[in-house]
Amino acid sequence: MMAVFEKSERLRHIGHLDIQRAVQRALRRSGLPVSYSKGFNPHILLTFASALSTGAAGRNEIMEVQLEREVSPEAFLSAMNAAMPPDMQLSCAKVLDDRRMALMAQVSAADYTLTLDDMSAAKIIENQLNDFLAQESIMAMRKTKSGMKETDIRPLIHTLTMDGNKIHAVMTLTERLACKPNMLMDALAAFTGMEAVPRVLTVRNRLLGCDEAGALVPLETL
Amino acid sequence: MTMHEKIEAMLEKVQKAPRYTGGEMNTTLKPWDEAALHFAFCFPDTYEVAMSHLGMKILYHGINSQPDMLCERVCMPWVDMMELMQQEDVPLFSLENRRALNEFDVVGFTLQYEMSYTNILAMLKLGGIALKREERGEEAPIIVAGGPCAFNPEPLADFIDAFMVGDGEEQILELNRIIRDGRKEGASRLTILKRLCGVQGVYVPALYDVTYHADGTIASMKPNCPEAPEKVLKAIIKDLDETYYPTEIPVPYTEIIHDRIMLEIMRGCTRGCRFCQAGMLYRPVRERSLERLVDLAVSLENATGYEDISLSSLSSGDYTCLAELIRELIRRLKEKRVSISLPSLRLDSVLKESLEETQKERKTSLTFAPEAGTQRLRDVINKGVTEEDLIEKVRDAFAGGWSSVKLYFMMGLPTETYEDLDGIADLARKVTAEYFAIPKAQRAKGLRVTCSASVFVPKPFTPFQWEPQDTQEIVKEKQKHLRDKLREVKGVNFNYHESDLSYLEACFARGDRRMGKVLLRAFEKGCMLDSWGEHFKYEAWREAFEETGIDPAFYAFRRREKDEIMPWDVIDCGVTKEFLWREKEKADRAATTKDCRKGCNGCGLQRFKGVCKFCG
Repeated sequence: MMAVFEKSERLRHIGHLDIQRAVQRALRRSGLPVSYSKGFNPHILLTFASALSTGAAGRNEIMEVQLEREVSPEAFLSAMNAAMPPDMQLSCAKVLDDRRMALMAQVSAADYTLTLDDMSAAKIIENQLNDFLAQESIMAMRKTKSGMKETDIRPLIHTLTMDGNKIHAVMTLTERLACKPNMLMDALAAFTGMEAVPRVLTVRNRLLGCDEAGALVPLETL
Repeated sequence: MTMHEKIEAMLEKVQKAPRYTGGEMNTTLKPWDEAALHFAFCFPDTYEVAMSHLGMKILYHGINSQPDMLCERVCMPWVDMMELMQQEDVPLFSLENRRALNEFDVVGFTLQYEMSYTNILAMLKLGGIALKREERGEEAPIIVAGGPCAFNPEPLADFIDAFMVGDGEEQILELNRIIRDGRKEGASRLTILKRLCGVQGVYVPALYDVTYHADGTIASMKPNCPEAPEKVLKAIIKDLDETYYPTEIPVPYTEIIHDRIMLEIMRGCTRGCRFCQAGMLYRPVRERSLERLVDLAVSLENATGYEDISLSSLSSGDYTCLAELIRELIRRLKEKRVSISLPSLRLDSVLKESLEETQKERKTSLTFAPEAGTQRLRDVINKGVTEEDLIEKVRDAFAGGWSSVKLYFMMGLPTETYEDLDGIADLARKVTAEYFAIPKAQRAKGLRVTCSASVFVPKPFTPFQWEPQDTQEIVKEKQKHLRDKLREVKGVNFNYHESDLSYLEACFARGDRRMGKVLLRAFEKGCMLDSWGEHFKYEAWREAFEETGIDPAFYAFRRREKDEIMPWDVIDCGVTKEFLWREKEKADRAATTKDCRKGCNGCGLQRFKGVCKFCG
């Protein structure tokens, strides 16, 4: 079963592992027939399409749970919504075909809204946004397992627009390559000559995958 | 910026922001304006410690189960948050409605250990409440405090309006009703406080006057108004099955210290260890029925989704139907793969087998608390454990695949000699010998024996309440001696505590009203979070004593006379002073006292007919 859930703004400081544990406990509360792994320390078979970093809220995060027997998406949704905290409600559920590719491997990009609380910084960025995007390459530092690595993020930015103090961005997000919101903000701050990177409230609106035609569509619709 | 926006901005900057965000599963957010009484449950330590505390969970849900009452949680912020709050002028706020502490009708602290007292002052100050009760206006919340340390309320008498002694479940509701009604009709603080004297176990320090002898001991402690009783008898709940226990408890998002369901299977202990304050304070023993416990466990599991349940009490191995209880819990919770943490190894073999089937067996370390190194000293403290018992259990454990054992001892117990310290090293050696006696192929690898020796702190309402604590010089010498002795034993690690904290704990444990001055001075000098090693400022404490002209040795190192008036004599904890003195005399001659389950020892509870099922 695949389900779409929210990680509300109040929970933005909760890390991925804690969110994972909260979902596991909700599953245990729900009374749904969840599958456990075999072995010495059985755990619930639960995966997430993409870990959401500490500090960010998510409107449509995606989980996948294995069940022991068939449950209708409606029944799953109502059992889970009764068991999940108010800040983590589900919006839809869908039975997945066992043979399809792992959710994680299907994520290609994500859609973000970054809200600046410093209006003057927002103005500066807005004024230079076109010039920023006109660059052929934009080098940014990316944290990897082996340390900091320089990456060209220009090809990873699919769209980037602004509306008042809100930045809307669609950026590549795969296991191998990604432009994370903090990398974008670092690059914007450097480009506009700001001394400090302005603080933003990060909301991941949606995870996106590629449909057969190669267009980016919400992951849950694939 | 509104307070809410300020808090949100602060959360971006602090470590562990989830400590301050609330909204956990099973927490209660009630509309503020609809409640007739607002209670702030304050835990004077950080969120992780607070949320691990069972009493808070019971009372939090207990108060919120009342339709017209609201209870919200408030914890001690960490230093980084505290600094930001002061900088941004944000008062200490509750986790639910984010209300400032001074907006509540009642602000209640739980007193779990003496070294959290500076945190109480820090929280009051951050919450915009005058520290001293005399300086509080009519509008200020009523500040109350309960928990084990409330049995000697005097060191906090300057700061707390009313103490709640004994079992809190029913008492706290009665107290809330009186405050609710009093505030509604516009009664004065003093009137409300006097009315609170009618609640069993409530002690109002303003209503008592203390005089002293020239030598500093108490000459008299008397009520100054007719409402205040001569002696305040603790609140006692007769039947735990009849009293409130939550069927849902908060489930924090982040890991806390005790991240599991805690099921209180009984209250009190019949063993009568003479150093143990809890063993005296929580008498008599009351057990919850098996049926009630199983029902509670199932409801709590369904409401929390926790993976573990621990059976909680002072001595869970003594629960009458322990084996049946565990079997029934396993049967009912098997499907949910709940593991049950067991209090002791005293289990029959059938039970062991059924446990092994269902439990994720984690062979972590096993803990034993012989407390003293020789049989003589164990008899002095009435710790009914023999060397044979211990060795047998350790042998079983090593044979069962464990390789890590923790041994807990106390240092500085009354009558202790260097022979007793050597006994600790001998015992550790015997434990390691049991491991090496098992053929290499059959035992788990990596023997680890950890010996921990804490510094004994004499506590009120124990047979050792008259005894001096060892001076710091003696403690240091003894620690060195034991360290050298244990160094000779292969596979043993030795842990011990700095004596400074235990010394202060001893001063507060048996302190009187005058200790309030020291506490305030130390707080003004920046002392807080004392139990967090990196924040403990011993030098500042030393200066605080000096500047207030109070001698810590008077409290810690002085032997009390039999008839000395103790600061806590105003409280009747159920156990009588005569019984404690009898026990002290028996300790002096290393005579033991039997477990109450084997017959009444006349501790004082027999005065209340039908309260204790082992007497009369």
